[in-house]
Amino acid sequence: MVYEVKEEQSKDGRKVMRIDREHLLDLVKDLKADGYDSLSLISCVDFRDRIEVVYHLFNSKNEDILVVKTETRDSKVPSLTSLYESANWDEREQYDMMGVEFTGHPNLKRILLPEGWVGYPLRKDYDLSKTQYVNMDDEGEDRVSFDPGDGW
Amino acid sequence: MNLLLRIATILSFLGHYPSYILGYLIETIIVIIFATVVIAGMVYIFRKYMARVQMRIGPNRVGKFGIMQVMADGLKLIQKESIMPKGRDDLAYKLAPILIFFGLIMGFIFIPYGPLAWFGDLTVSHSDVSLIIIFALIAIMPIGEILSGISSNNKYAVIGTLRGIAKDISFEVPMMLSILAIVMAASAKVSNPLDINGVVVAQSIPFAILEPLGFFVFIISMAARASYSPFDMGESDSELVTGNTTEYSGLRFGFFYLGLFGTIFLGSMMISTIYLGGYLGPFTNYMGFIWLLIKTLILVIISLTIWLSMPRVRIDKFINFGWKYLLPIAFVNLVIVGFLVLGGIA
Amino acid sequence: MVEQGNLKNRLIELNMGPQHPSTHGVLRLKLTLDGETVKKVEPIIGYLHRNAEKICELDFYCDALIYFDRMDYVAAMNMEAGYLEAAEKLLGIEPPERVVWIRTIMAELSRIASHLVWAGAYGLDLGMLTPFFYVFEQREKILDLFTEISGSRQETNYMSIGGVYQDFNDKIVYLIREFLDQFPKKLEEVFNLFVKNDIFISRTKGIGILEPDVALQYGVTGPMLRASGVPYDVRKAQPYLAYDRVNFEVPISKRKDNYARVLVRFEEMRQSAKIIKQALDKLPDGPYFNPKAKKSLMVRLRGEGDFYARTESPKGEFGVYLVGDGTVKPYRVHVRSPAFKNLSVLPALAKDVLIADLVAISGTLDLVFGEVDR
Repeated sequence: MVYEVKEEQSKDGRKVMRIDREHLLDLVKDLKADGYDSLSLISCVDFRDRIEVVYHLFNSKNEDILVVKTETRDSKVPSLTSLYESANWDEREQYDMMGVEFTGHPNLKRILLPEGWVGYPLRKDYDLSKTQYVNMDDEGEDRVSFDPGDGW
Repeated sequence: MNLLLRIATILSFLGHYPSYILGYLIETIIVIIFATVVIAGMVYIFRKYMARVQMRIGPNRVGKFGIMQVMADGLKLIQKESIMPKGRDDLAYKLAPILIFFGLIMGFIFIPYGPLAWFGDLTVSHSDVSLIIIFALIAIMPIGEILSGISSNNKYAVIGTLRGIAKDISFEVPMMLSILAIVMAASAKVSNPLDINGVVVAQSIPFAILEPLGFFVFIISMAARASYSPFDMGESDSELVTGNTTEYSGLRFGFFYLGLFGTIFLGSMMISTIYLGGYLGPFTNYMGFIWLLIKTLILVIISLTIWLSMPRVRIDKFINFGWKYLLPIAFVNLVIVGFLVLGGIA
Repeated sequence: MVEQGNLKNRLIELNMGPQHPSTHGVLRLKLTLDGETVKKVEPIIGYLHRNAEKICELDFYCDALIYFDRMDYVAAMNMEAGYLEAAEKLLGIEPPERVVWIRTIMAELSRIASHLVWAGAYGLDLGMLTPFFYVFEQREKILDLFTEISGSRQETNYMSIGGVYQDFNDKIVYLIREFLDQFPKKLEEVFNLFVKNDIFISRTKGIGILEPDVALQYGVTGPMLRASGVPYDVRKAQPYLAYDRVNFEVPISKRKDNYARVLVRFEEMRQSAKIIKQALDKLPDGPYFNPKAKKSLMVRLRGEGDFYARTESPKGEFGVYLVGDGTVKPYRVHVRSPAFKNLSVLPALAKDVLIADLVAISGTLDLVFGEVDR
């Protein structure tokens, strides 16, 4: 596959690759073949107009870290679950906190917050003034409401 | 002359049947008091000993040296609210702790306690087949466990009960085989080998020396019956919360607690009676009871040490152990004892 | 509820936790059981979630530190060191030499404390109560050292940007030496209690085998990964603090099972004691904070750019991804919590095992829920 990679050096000496999200999967697949056999971390940074998704890949042979950055404006990024198992929980966490939708994820639901939580807390436009209360319904599933009398 | 007969003789002015009925009543009360005191003492010893093993002080606030702590805890258990689960099988749920306690108390009745100074023989009751009765009685306790497990509508309790049953079956057969060997050995010497007192009298050489294999099997079985660590897979507090007692609280839980400690004491008493000569020892006519207590206490301390230093055995490994090792050992023991009896050594 | 009357449906579902004795906090495991065999495990987390990352964004760089204390609360010093590794790079503040060594000592003490807690808790998981008290005696001594130097037992908040809260004096050096003198002997005592017990061996050997490629797939790090035979330790791979100037070994094991994880953690404690000893000998003189990060100046520190710092916490690779936008507050803080990753491998590890083994396996993950849920 042909894709364009912008390579740069970050201030703390990590090698950073920038890629548009259409080619992310191909790039990571090639990197995995190159020996980056573990996905260390997926972070998302909300820059208000766009969300930057940062992947830290780890190479167990030379114990090196490589950064792959991509960005999205409509909160959609291809999922890496087909390549790395650890992407499963990481992507769920980022979906939970940032609302980034990882297309192709087998089980994309909230992981830390209860299902039904309103908003994505780590987004810059998250409304911190409203308190949400969690309760459990009859089936044992979590339920969220804004009513202080209904939950804790 | 055991306790029951003596009470009945004292009350004989009431006539034959009333005196025996009253005698049974008084005897029951005496045994309950005895068992409770013994268990309370054992809980105290356990907590102090456990604290010492674990570099702690243990109870030391209530009463001198914390002696009253057990009383305080008992009172606490009594006045606590008994929280009952929804959807329980009510009768079985309430019956289970009573059965446990009943089996335990009844077990204490047939132990030959031996004579003590001027007091005479302390044995509560007597039967010609007390060896069989006592095992029948302590076999009531698993029924209580099963009832508590299936009635409390809790998955942990069910799994704990299943484990308990699997465990019971795998050690009870070897245990009874080792008892059979005891009866064989005793029958060579006394005319009443099914009476525990007969078994004690037959031990001019303690059976532990004659049948070390049977002794081993029986100790393991008694540890498994009392279900303390390493054999506490039924309760296994880190896996199944507390197994069959998960849903119990208050006094009902207290009965299970008593059952646990009582079984350790009863088990140690049975080991010392059946294998270590019971009340036999120097000056047995004056201090037989003391000898029994000493032997029992040593066994209790050994049990507690095992309890405190061992992790839990996995249930399938214990079942394997029971069927693949304990049972053959018990058979080998039986054969060896058979030859000993034939050879006239025992 | 126990399902009645349906014998065809042999599988039962069991919720282990969030309140359960062996889940080390508030882990909830949704088990599908066939009798005693665990067919499926689904960990459900989030019961201790406080969203520390968001709170950090709302605070100054120096204030964000205390939320890191509360992540892995049994190894608070490692968390602080991990955060400062990223924050100081971002803010361009170099800690003085003495501070680097002091932090190394504290981080290693904290590592020992954390592994000791794990050992005690693992004993409890396997039904062994006594070792718990033996390890907690030692841990209590370490916490006493922390109290002496920082004024607080667990959430120490000892380190700060560009320095530490209080300099090492002769007394604390003496106390640490005193602790180290008796520690190896006591550790061997506990080690013997654990590892030479036949039942313990039968519960751990050959159970919970984690292949190295699976571990890497799931992002497992730390003692878990090293017990699978991958010699990855951040202290060696990308030395931070003073780890490139001390002599220590990274224990690995090729056994890959529970037993290997036990051995690796115990060996790590011995190595940590070795590191502290060397660090105390090499402790240089000098200031204990960078004057650029004085208390009055601390809230005015600004940083720009993005930085990722990985450090070796007792649980594994603890990474902090820090983004600054040139203001006095961090723009984005993201934590790579090792226990989170280590927990995610549990469904793969505990397939078709007994409940008892499930507990034995989840005990070796060394979970601290402050960190998993953040």
